[in-house]
Amino acid sequence: MWGYLLGLAGVVLALVAAGLAVRRASSSRPMADGGFLTGRGTSYGKAFGVARWLTTLDHKDIGLLYIVFGVVAGLWGGIDAMMIRTELVTPPADVWDVETYNELFTTHGITMLFLFVTPVFTGIANYFVPLLVGADDMAFPRINAIAFWLLPPSLLFIRAGLVTEVLAKVLQAGGLVVEALFALEPPAIGWTMYTPMSIEVGNPQVDVFLLGLHLSGVATTMGAINLVVTVFTERAEDVEWADLDIFSWAIVTMSGLILFAFPILGSTLVMLLLDRNFGTTFFLSPGGGPLLYQHLFWFFGHPEVYIIVLPAFGLISLILPKFVGRRLFGFTFVVYSTLAIGVLSFGVWAHHMFTTGIDPRIRASFMAVSVAIAVPSAVKVFNWLATLWYGRIRLTAPVIFLLGGISIFIVGGVTGVFLASIPVDLLVHGTYYVVGHFHLILMGIIPFTMFAASYYWFPLLTGRMYNRRLARVQAVVTIVGGFVAFLPMMVLGMEGLPRRYAQYPPGFTFLNQVSTLGAYLIGAGVVVWLYNVAQSLRVGPRVEDADVWDLKETDQFSREWQWFERRLEERRGELEGDD
Amino acid sequence: MGLADRNRPRQILGAIAGGVVGMAAMSIAFALLEVETRYEVGIFAGIARFVMLPGNLLFGFLVFVAFGAVVWPLLFVLFEDRIPGGPDPARRGLVFATLLWVLFALTGSGEVTGATLLIYGSLTLVGHLAYGFILGAVYGRIRPDFSVSEVRESREVP
Repeated sequence: MWGYLLGLAGVVLALVAAGLAVRRASSSRPMADGGFLTGRGTSYGKAFGVARWLTTLDHKDIGLLYIVFGVVAGLWGGIDAMMIRTELVTPPADVWDVETYNELFTTHGITMLFLFVTPVFTGIANYFVPLLVGADDMAFPRINAIAFWLLPPSLLFIRAGLVTEVLAKVLQAGGLVVEALFALEPPAIGWTMYTPMSIEVGNPQVDVFLLGLHLSGVATTMGAINLVVTVFTERAEDVEWADLDIFSWAIVTMSGLILFAFPILGSTLVMLLLDRNFGTTFFLSPGGGPLLYQHLFWFFGHPEVYIIVLPAFGLISLILPKFVGRRLFGFTFVVYSTLAIGVLSFGVWAHHMFTTGIDPRIRASFMAVSVAIAVPSAVKVFNWLATLWYGRIRLTAPVIFLLGGISIFIVGGVTGVFLASIPVDLLVHGTYYVVGHFHLILMGIIPFTMFAASYYWFPLLTGRMYNRRLARVQAVVTIVGGFVAFLPMMVLGMEGLPRRYAQYPPGFTFLNQVSTLGAYLIGAGVVVWLYNVAQSLRVGPRVEDADVWDLKETDQFSREWQWFERRLEERRGELEGDD
Repeated sequence: MGLADRNRPRQILGAIAGGVVGMAAMSIAFALLEVETRYEVGIFAGIARFVMLPGNLLFGFLVFVAFGAVVWPLLFVLFEDRIPGGPDPARRGLVFATLLWVLFALTGSGEVTGATLLIYGSLTLVGHLAYGFILGAVYGRIRPDFSVSEVRESREVP
């Protein structure tokens, strides 16, 4: 035991020594490129240090923290996904047992929705909305910081089973057995946490998980309030509502949805915790029953889909015109369709419950609204296509990603219209058709626009340029991976393969293997992206001219780039002053 | 560059610092993979086999850490000029780590077969690539005679 602790202390000491060595080496070395510290995050002469990142109130820093946090969580959830697909390479549950498989798809769903997508979009909004609306910072910088810092503990709570197990195993290897650390096992209740199962499961980690999820909801709501107030009250004098850019419109609508949807999730989670621990029967038969849970969950859950997809739509509408050399076609219609989706999204929740036996009249009305919500979504697609028409399309990595995203969204959207129709839903509900449909939308459009944004704004975020050829390769690999992974799922579902099973009949083997191949292609794309970002941060060519994308030519040199230009000039002035 | 080079001590320090940070990143990744896969992949058993100590997980892991933190970095410094991918040490680190991964996959995979091999192979490859990249990048920062602009000029600037 003591030997183990001593060893641990030694490792910590070695890390500190290495850190100090790096610090000293970099401070004493003359820089070949004029004192620009390489490989240390953003430029602009900010000091490097842990304390700065822990205490920062700057919206740009917090934005970056959100993005880094989201990427870490996304990688974790992505590994879950790869493991799910690995299990499904062969018909029997021979890679992992059934229980582990159940845990994997539970943590994959929760991690991706709450800890990856929402934080990354909040991060992008944090960085760019104040710049786009001409605000000095967010309306409430301290609340902004608190909202972010609630997320790491939330991640820890949600995934505690794994973390405590690692700790327990490490201690066990050192000869110390702590039984309590083994008690928490990853939850295996599905990301929808349907009752009565989620109430009856004994695993104490489920309670910790629910608390973590609640915490992330609190954080998201705080962030949303801040974004709404920022856009409403902190706009520069020359930014009228009519001049508000399309991304900020999407973010305001997303935040509005969060304000109405997340409190429902919070209340539902508290009720679930009470049911589990204090014998209330909100979601058991003497009380409201499992259907009450489903109503409440999906009243939050369906708007959540739009909470995470509206910023993606906003990014497409913002970035696409820049590389086409034309203005966004039908700007007003894109704004109205965003607002329409925001309103309608609260009226479609029961389409998740068509097979539960609810009253046919309720079902019919929800079918009508579910079909209707395709209209504003289609309006957006037609506007994007019209923007491309007669445009001078430059096939940069962001554009390849956006085109891939739009195409995959069309497939996902059309399959969704079929799913909205009750007879079809009765047939394919609970099959891979549903999994294929929502992954075509969620996986297709959301990470694709994130990648596009990461490349589009990379020069602004880092002061450096990325490797363009590698980025284009990544875009193509990822898009192909997306189609290869999720199209077979539609067929599997129509052939009747149920979802959420670790085992399946041998007849479905081939399509499952194709789907797994697609998942690995996506994984390869992510690794290439990580490498490109890390390597470009270190040695990417420095950006001298803020007009990286020749936006001045088409009068699209928008506010965030103007801000970047000022920063570059200030920096240049400082350097000249130093000489 | 001979051993008498006056930059040698600094280079060695840099490589070891890189090795320590790289090992830390790779160990965390491996530990998570191990637990998340419910010990099916048996990565620590693989590591023990890799360092020719099958059956002794803890000692095997310690030897593994020692190799990653000291032995491989020293080898890296010694053969740096002959590793393709230069002049950027981080890219050389990637090539170097890929070689290590091939060795690891050949000796360490043991009884891992079928679909498990897929995730085992890919995740350990990514772990090794991260190790190599960090090793080279940290080494490049500390090495006194390395200039980032030299690397930048060698890159394609579109």
